[in-house]
Amino acid sequence: MNPGVALAALVGVSVATAVIGFYGLRISRTTGDFYVASRTVRPWWNASAIGGEYLSAASFLGVAGLILLSGTDALWFPVGYTAGYLMLLLFVAAPLRRSGAYTIPDFTEARLDSRPVRKVTSLVVVLVGWLYIVPQLHGAALTIRITTGLPSWVGSVAVVIVVCLTVVAGGMRSITFVQAFQYWLKLTALAVPILFIIFVLAGSGSAPLAPPAVNPTGVAPAGLYQNVSLLVALLFGTLGLPHVLVRFYTNPDGQSARRTTLIVLGLLSVFYLFPTAYGLVGRMFAPGLARAGQADAMVLLLPGELVGGTAGDLLSALVVAGAFAAFLSTTSGLVVSLAGVISQDVLGAGVNGFRLAAVISAVVPLGFAFMTDSFALAGSVGLVFAFTASTVCPVLLLGIWWRGLTDAGAIAGMLTGGVLCGGAMIVGAFAGVATTPGWLAQPAAWTVPAAFAVMVIVSRATEQRIPKTMSKVMTRLHTPERPLATER
Amino acid sequence: MTRVRVTAPRTAARPAKETREAAQDSEVGQVFVRSLIRSQLRLALVVAAGFLLILGAFPLLLAVVPGLAETRVAGVPFAWLLLGVGIYPVIGLSAWLYIRTAARNEARYRDLAEDQ
Repeated sequence: MNPGVALAALVGVSVATAVIGFYGLRISRTTGDFYVASRTVRPWWNASAIGGEYLSAASFLGVAGLILLSGTDALWFPVGYTAGYLMLLLFVAAPLRRSGAYTIPDFTEARLDSRPVRKVTSLVVVLVGWLYIVPQLHGAALTIRITTGLPSWVGSVAVVIVVCLTVVAGGMRSITFVQAFQYWLKLTALAVPILFIIFVLAGSGSAPLAPPAVNPTGVAPAGLYQNVSLLVALLFGTLGLPHVLVRFYTNPDGQSARRTTLIVLGLLSVFYLFPTAYGLVGRMFAPGLARAGQADAMVLLLPGELVGGTAGDLLSALVVAGAFAAFLSTTSGLVVSLAGVISQDVLGAGVNGFRLAAVISAVVPLGFAFMTDSFALAGSVGLVFAFTASTVCPVLLLGIWWRGLTDAGAIAGMLTGGVLCGGAMIVGAFAGVATTPGWLAQPAAWTVPAAFAVMVIVSRATEQRIPKTMSKVMTRLHTPERPLATER
Repeated sequence: MTRVRVTAPRTAARPAKETREAAQDSEVGQVFVRSLIRSQLRLALVVAAGFLLILGAFPLLLAVVPGLAETRVAGVPFAWLLLGVGIYPVIGLSAWLYIRTAARNEARYRDLAEDQ
């Protein structure tokens, strides 16, 4: 691929992000604008912003790469990423909005009336956020190396710098517009090239090189346990992601939080058709891309491989732009929510605390990214979902639906899930992909029930610690918000 | 034009409207709230279980009916269509059904609370 074209695409996305961020800043300037954003952000904008933030490197590059490698087994990833939002809708969307909490630690503190719970939740949330940023930086490193030939670290560092600059300058205010723009950019950047490729292939009548059922690398197919465990992680991991909750805060009430989630589901469903199409076309017409050992770059290389020439270059540039939109939007969403948590709980509130926290939240994962190697992006993001599902998910679900939860139970459960799942991740990282047994490689199926069990048992044993505010909080979480007098 | 710093505290949940809670503090009010929570939880569990059953039925269908996975529809193997496209409408439909019924549960709760 022409490196100049890829660089131009990269600069283009960064500039567009900055310009839209500035536009958003200009129209929302006051404290009132910030909090009343709930009244002015329409569901479609909000849903696009959620989609923009959620569709990360794993969705944009990783899913197609994994489908290329392991075929229909990998289709569980996009299904799980989408169905995770269904679970979010069913179990947490409206109650979380009604709680009025801005971050997950806010929620647990309000529900359990306990500072220690807040501290533990903050710790877990920061860990989740950092773990989630690392694959984004790996994706950026891979993209830069493949498309421009520059050293990998340039990609990660570029993402961190752009994110730090936008977050430090604009904070939360302009993010909604940027994220919404980036959803549509990502969708276009995937849809246009693959439709063009299919059109060209159909026009030239070229025969497939390999049937889709043939695995180009000969990796053993995942067993039933692995698929089930993966689905557990994806279904229950989504509802604990720190950057997702903030977005629900900008809905005016619980019912509109539900409606926004419905639109998000539609947007995600449409989006995931395209990585699936890339995977299938890649398997049939360009199986060689998997053998090169960089399956994650398949989306970037396919237009050049199958179309070529100037058209291929232009389509590749579009895909590179979309990929960078994915790295930037997810990373900045995570950095904003992490900075909120870190500045409140460690550095003290205030704008300067927030800025310092933002820089810390972005630079620490950069260190992780340098120390670790990128293997399948969708797989490493899947592990982060497993960690979230074993820690944040039980405390949210039990906190919302069970009156018996206590602070001691919540802390014990989160620590259990975190230690078990984190331990499995560390052992798996040292043992290597090939030698890790299935139950360690996909730990969610046993770590999530373990965390739930410990949380329930310890809460039962410490029943006297159920907070006095419990029934008031439960009422607020579940009752519709409009005052009765003005109803209908 | 000057920029204004956002100064409202971001910690902790803000108290809900007074009117909302006044009607709910009584014992009867709490009974209504409990029954609302129970019906919302039941609804969420039913929708989730239904969705998971359908999700599980898809690969089962492919495994049980021989040759179905490889059958081509417009050049695309059926297994890919089912798992890569067919599941999304099921997700959307489940979500839509849930939202409708959840709103109905809340409307019923409001009627009860008003009559009180």
